[in-house]
This record gives sequence, C-alpha cells and structure tokens, in this order.
Amino acid sequence: MAETHSLQDLRHQAAVAAKVFIQRDYTNGTLCQFQTKFPSELETKIDKQQFEETMRTLNNLYAEAEKLGSQSYVEGCLACLTAYTIFLCIETHYEKVLKKIAKYIQEQNDKVYAPRGLLLTDPLERGLRVIEITIFEDRSLTQ
Amino acid sequence: MPNSAGKRFKPTKYIPVSTAATLLVGSTTLFFVFTCPWLAKVISPAVPFYNGLVFLFVLANFSMATFMDPGVYPRANEDEDKDDDFRAPLYKNVEIKGIQVRMKWCATCHFYRPPRCSHCSVCDNCVEDFDHHCPWVNNCIGRRNYRYFFLFLLSLSAHMVGVFSFGLIFVLHHREMLGALHTTVTLVVMCVAGLFFIPVMGLTGFHMVLVARGRTTNEQVTGKFRGGVNPFTKGCCGNVEYVLCSPLAPSPVVILLCFLCRYVLDPKKKPHIKIQPPFIRPDTSERHITIKVSDNGIHGTIIHSKSKCSLDGLDGKEMQPPLPPKADKYSQLKAPQTSSEESSLSGRTHPSTPAMYRYRPSFGTMPKVHYHTAEEKIIMSEDRKTSAILEEGVRGHDYRSEPNLDLPEYANAPLHRTFQSSPFQLDSDPVASRTLSLKQGPCRLEKGQLQALGPQTAASTSYKGAFSPNTLSNRNGSLSYDSLLNPSISPAGANECRAHRGMPPMGFHSPYLPNKMCHIRETEIHRQQAAPAYSPVVIPRGMGRQSPHPRDRDSSPVRYDNLSQTIMASIQERKELEEREKRKMMHGRSQTSIYTPDSAAFDGGYGLPTNACYPEGPRGSFSRGPTPPTYGGSRDNLMGLGVMSYGQRTPVQRYAGSTLGRAPRTSSTSLHTDHSSTNSSQNRTPGPEGPYCSPVHQPHSPAMPRSPSYSHQKLSYINTHEKTESPRLGGQREAVKVNGQMDCHMSTQNASLSPGRHSNVKKVTGVGGTTYEISV
Repeated sequence: MAETHSLQDLRHQAAVAAKVFIQRDYTNGTLCQFQTKFPSELETKIDKQQFEETMRTLNNLYAEAEKLGSQSYVEGCLACLTAYTIFLCIETHYEKVLKKIAKYIQEQNDKVYAPRGLLLTDPLERGLRVIEITIFEDRSLTQ
Repeated sequence: MPNSAGKRFKPTKYIPVSTAATLLVGSTTLFFVFTCPWLAKVISPAVPFYNGLVFLFVLANFSMATFMDPGVYPRANEDEDKDDDFRAPLYKNVEIKGIQVRMKWCATCHFYRPPRCSHCSVCDNCVEDFDHHCPWVNNCIGRRNYRYFFLFLLSLSAHMVGVFSFGLIFVLHHREMLGALHTTVTLVVMCVAGLFFIPVMGLTGFHMVLVARGRTTNEQVTGKFRGGVNPFTKGCCGNVEYVLCSPLAPSPVVILLCFLCRYVLDPKKKPHIKIQPPFIRPDTSERHITIKVSDNGIHGTIIHSKSKCSLDGLDGKEMQPPLPPKADKYSQLKAPQTSSEESSLSGRTHPSTPAMYRYRPSFGTMPKVHYHTAEEKIIMSEDRKTSAILEEGVRGHDYRSEPNLDLPEYANAPLHRTFQSSPFQLDSDPVASRTLSLKQGPCRLEKGQLQALGPQTAASTSYKGAFSPNTLSNRNGSLSYDSLLNPSISPAGANECRAHRGMPPMGFHSPYLPNKMCHIRETEIHRQQAAPAYSPVVIPRGMGRQSPHPRDRDSSPVRYDNLSQTIMASIQERKELEEREKRKMMHGRSQTSIYTPDSAAFDGGYGLPTNACYPEGPRGSFSRGPTPPTYGGSRDNLMGLGVMSYGQRTPVQRYAGSTLGRAPRTSSTSLHTDHSSTNSSQNRTPGPEGPYCSPVHQPHSPAMPRSPSYSHQKLSYINTHEKTESPRLGGQREAVKVNGQMDCHMSTQNASLSPGRHSNVKKVTGVGGTTYEISV
C-alpha cells in the first residue's frame, strides 16, 4: 500500500545523519518539562519559532497531564473505592493526555518536521527523559 | 530451581515478600473465620464488614506496591550517550528553583540521573523519585507506586489496629475459654498483629513525616537536605495532595507494550511518516541581511543572504574580511539570546583562563573563521542557507581551540545572544576572511582546515550555539580584556589591528590568533579601503594602540578579565621591553618571521623552527585535552610566556589555555579536536613559518604591499603587543611587529627575525597553532 508505509520503511528512504536530544528542564522541579532552547544543530533545518512552538505546546500538554485537578481527585477516589480495579476499565487522565501528546507529535512530524528531514520521537519511549530529534540526511544536497 | 542462562532465579529475594503476604493473608483469614462470626453476632455485622473493607484496601495497595512499575527509566540508547560516555563529567549541575542540584552520571543506564532519581542495585534500574527498595513487597518504591505504598502502610496500620482490638474484645469475652480453638487462634492473631504493630506503625509515622516534608526516604537517609532547603517541596498541604491525588503516571514500559500490541494487531494504525529529501530549509535571508549591516565596514557587503553560494565565488574574488564587523554586529545585535546558545555555550565551554580570555576577545570579534571560514562557509552555503550557522560552528572551532574562556563572561552573554540571532554575521566574516586567506596564500592551512571542517559542518553547527556566544564573549572578553591590557595585549591589539587595518595581527595573542591573525591580516588588508567600523570600543583602542591604552585599560574594570589584568599588564610591560630589545637587535633582520601572525602559518610561523614543528604535538594535546583550562594555570602560563615573547602572545595564550585543560567532553572536545586538527594542519602547512620549520610562505607578499600603510599603525600597535605574530604577512608583518617601528620589511624577514629570537626565546606551538615564545 503506497500510503501506508511503516516508519521503518520510510526511514530507509533517508539516512539518519544525526540525533539531537532535547533534555528535560528541571528549573521547576520534577514536573515534566522540556527545554525550549533551540539546539544549534537544527539551525539549518527548521525555524526557531516553529521549534519553540512545538516545545511549548508539548510542555503545556505535559503540565496538563500532571495537573492536580478535579479529574485527578475523582479518579483517585474511584480507584480507592474500587480497589484500583477501575484502572482495568477506564483510561486515566494522564493516559488520555499522553495519547493527545502522541497524536500531536505525529501531526507535527507529518506537517512540519518530516518535510524538513527531521523526526520527533515521543519522549515516552525514553521514559520521559529526552525528546529525540532525528536529523535525516538531505540527499538532494549531496546529489 | 532452574537457573536460566539469563537472570538467575534468586529465591532468597522472595522470602520477605512471601512471608509478608502469608502473614497478612493468613492472619486475616483466621481472624475472619474464628473471630468475626462472634463479633458479628454480638457487636454488630458492621464489624466484619469494616474489617473486610480495610483488608481489601490493604490487599489492593499491597498488590499495587508490589507489581506496579515504580517509574523505571529505560536504558538510554547508544545514540544518546555517545557524546557523554567518555568525556562526560561525573556530575552535572542543574538549578531547580534557585537551588543547585547535582545529577550524577549513571554508568549502567547511560544518562545523567534526573533529580531525585537513583539507581536501585537490587532491581538494577534507575527509578524516578526513588524512595527505597522495599523487600516486603520485593519492589522499588518510586514515583509511580509511592502512593500505593504509603496507603498500604496506612491501611495496614489501621487493619492491624482493628484486628488487634477486636481480637482483644473477643478474648476478653472468652477469658474462661482460653483453651478453646477460637480463642487460641484469636490470641495467635493478636500476637502476630501486636508483634508487627510497632515496626509498621513506626514506618507509617516515618513516611507521614516524609510526605509532609516532601522528601523521599533516600533523601532523608542520605541527608541531602539536612540544614538546607528542599527544592521539591510544595508546602505541607501541597506535598500531601501531590502524594495522594496526583494522577497516575503511566508506565512507559506498559505504554510501549500497548503501542506495540496495537500496531502488531493493526499495522494500519501505525503512524507512517514520509521523510524524503529534498527537505525544506528555513529561510535565512533575513539573517544575512542583518549581517550586512554589520559594521566592520569592511565587509559590510560580504554577507549576502542568499548567496551563501556566492561564497563559492569567494575563492576567486576578494571578500572583505569580515573580521571586525562581527564585533560590531554583536554590539548592534542585541537580539535576545537563545537560551540554547547560552546553554550550549555554557555547557560546552569551559571556564577559560583569564589569560586566554583576554586574548580571545580580540579574536572573538574577528570572524572566527580563520580556519574554517570561507571555505567552510562556502560549502555550507550550498546546502544550507544558514551559512551563518556554519560560521558559528566555525567560530566554535575557534573558540574551542582555545581553552574556553567564555564561561566567565557572563557579562557577555548578551552579546552572545546577539550573535546568535545573527548567525550570518559570522558567516560573512569567515567567508570573507577566508577568501582573504585564500588569496593570500598563507592561509593554506585554513583551506585545509576548512576542508577538514567541511565535513564537520554538522558538528560545527552543534558548536555554533556554543561558539557564537563565545565569539561574542570573546569579543566582550576582548573588550574587557583590552581595557585591561590595552593595546599591548593582544586583544587590544586585535582590535587595533582592525582599526588600523594594516596592523599586524600580532597583537592578538588570543588563542584564536592563528585564525585571527589571518583574519586580521586579511581584514587589515581589506580594511585599508574600508573604514573599520568596529565597535566603538575597538576603535578607540586602536587609536591608542600604544601604551597609553594598556594603561588605561588596565585600570578599566573588567569583568572577568580583571583577574588577570594586573598580570596581563605586567606581561605587557615585560613584552614591550623585550620587544624593544629585540627590535633593536633585529632591526635589520626580518623580524616578521617571528611575528607575522599569519593565520595559516600560525603554528609554524611564529616560533622557532623547532617550535613550528613541535607545536603540533602540544597543540594537539592541548586542544584535545578534556580538562577545562583552569584560570590559574592560564595566567601562570601567560605570565611566563608573556615575559618571553610578547609578540607571540596569542600562541602563548593558547598554550596557557590548553595546558589548563579542556572541558570535559562533549562539545568542547569535539571542537577542540577540530580545532587542533585544523591547527595541526596549519602547522603542517609550512607556510609562513618558513624560517622555522618549513619554507616561509611568501604568499602573503602580495598582501604585503598594503601592509606598509598598516604597518605604521601596526607598529605602534606592535609596540604594545610585541607580538609579531605571524611573519606570514611578510614584510608587512615585520614592519609591524616588533618594534613598533614601521618597518615594512616585506617577506622574508621572518626568517631573519626568528633566528634572532631563537636565541632568546623558544617557540612553542600552542593550541590552535599559536606559537608562543618562551624565553629561555
């Protein structure tokens, strides 16, 4: 199927040139926030504003996931009352936001990063420690 | 017990958890079977119901604490840690709410442990918000399961209290039938409960205090915040709320498994992303434009936004050396610095020795490009519009080659920022300088360097962040430094050179000297026509060039440089004296050989022939050294070196810097390596040094003609510097240097000069090919 290429297959179309790791920003404690500073390796690849916009959105989403709001209270109480069996049935708030983040990253990759030869990796795969940005080789330049 | 090839089955680690589970379940079951029926009958049916609920709660929490992932960090990929592994420092500091917290490198997991994270030796994993490893649940207690563990303790305490009290009631009512089965069993249950009551209650109380304080067991036991402030606390209520009510963080492992399952079951759901070249590149034209504005005046036009490709033509044509303008640009562009640059800079650069720092600034202003410059840029521009970036990278190299001096330049940070914002500026300079160098020939090394650097553009880009600020800082440093040292000192000299255009770069002395020299020279040459639009700081200095400035500068408060100001001043003086003496001695000779700060021949050119050949070694070692230069060391070096060969200042400095060591790994290392390689390559190219190791280049000769005009200026400048940096420039340099007299001996005087020098000084090639003269 032409339209359904696995990520692996697509990756074969362009070779990985480098990887940039966006580290966590711990200035506000252990909240899940990533550094928004623009890495120098990406200067030739993408606009700074675009990148910072992506990072800010991700940070906001993670902040929303960890927010102690009414939803988290309700979930906690229900979980206690049902001896945590409720986790087998419903999706927690955090998980919902994580899905939202995954979708956002996917969308960003499709619209913004892939056309520029970059690929964002969901930080969840790295234990929410780093955001890995893969820089692909721009073969058109070498040709 | 089967022993698999992999993990061995250790039954002993399951004993505590088995015991705990057995006791808990067993005792409670007995209680329900033997005690509760009477209690339900006599007191109320609510009693067993209540006890049942509590027991259920205990079991649920116990299970969650036992089986839930505490927040294990997966091992880092190879790609992630390749930069960190070898040269990574053991600790990395991070500021959390104003408090410095140390992150330790985990050799097992290959990343720096986030704050509050610790490696569990039992589980062999790094755990987020690590509390402790609990043998009773046979699991680590970390961020994700601390709440369950705490609730388990609370509920277990309540359960034990309940069981004990209801059992007591039963026993008290059956005192006469103590031998009966029910009573006996109840008594046994009561004993078990009573036996474990004290430890469990004690632990519960302990954790209640920890929760209220917002600490983990690990932090409490190791005394991390003893007498200090806990940056992770949110206040008592906030901490309790955080423990009990925070959303359940999903386990990355579980999530990944879910993802895998989902995609295995339904491959169509797998996100597919097409990554095919050609790729869009950001529009850098604006940036270029900003560069143009810059100031040097010399190369105002050099930087053409779009035409990074035009750089290709640089080889053929003459590009204004972008050197000085950069300085101006920096000052002009006060764009908010990207934090990345700062951080990258700070991350990569290492504290530079004050001496180095000083020198560097002069170079900083100059387009770093010396080595990599033009060529690199040219190449870069083809692919990317952001040649500026390249420049930065280049700069980075320059920067790197010297021991990082920028760190202390906090004051310069703003400059860095500006720099960052206009990466192109750099581009122009390097390119310009490059072309110049190319033309002049002497900078063959540069070419080589560039080529060498070419492939590293990617790498250099990474440095860019680091460097650009550095360059700025250099600039700043130079400014400040200049103020300290004044013209005599290279930084000042550098500025002055620019201003004077023809000034021999000798005064630069900064570690970047080789590059800078080239740039300076070239710039100078070009500058003749263009009025140097250096930053005001520079210009005045330039004017003063001579001694008056140094004195003035010395008195000026320098941020970082202040430290070595006095030292530099003394060095300056000494150098001047020496220079004068030498000039007298070598007046007739081609002094330039020693002094010509040919960038390309930087390594070789300056020092004695032996030095020229030899610098490579030390240089390489220096540049690559992973230890950050220490300030003290650099100063000391400078002192010693300064005495010797003032003219060599830059080389000296470089030496000083390099000896100090390099910052550990990462960026700096690579940069240094690049730098060293470039330097080495420079060295290798015999070029200018001519007299020393290899035949002198006279490529500068064509450029020389101009020098006379500069030389005068330079000479005056030189007086202060005494650096005669690279004789490459040929006659020009010679005139310039040394004595401050306007001797424009073209060319070959280098050779003559150097020998004279040899008698007094020994040239050592420092980092970046700077040749230092050490008086022997």
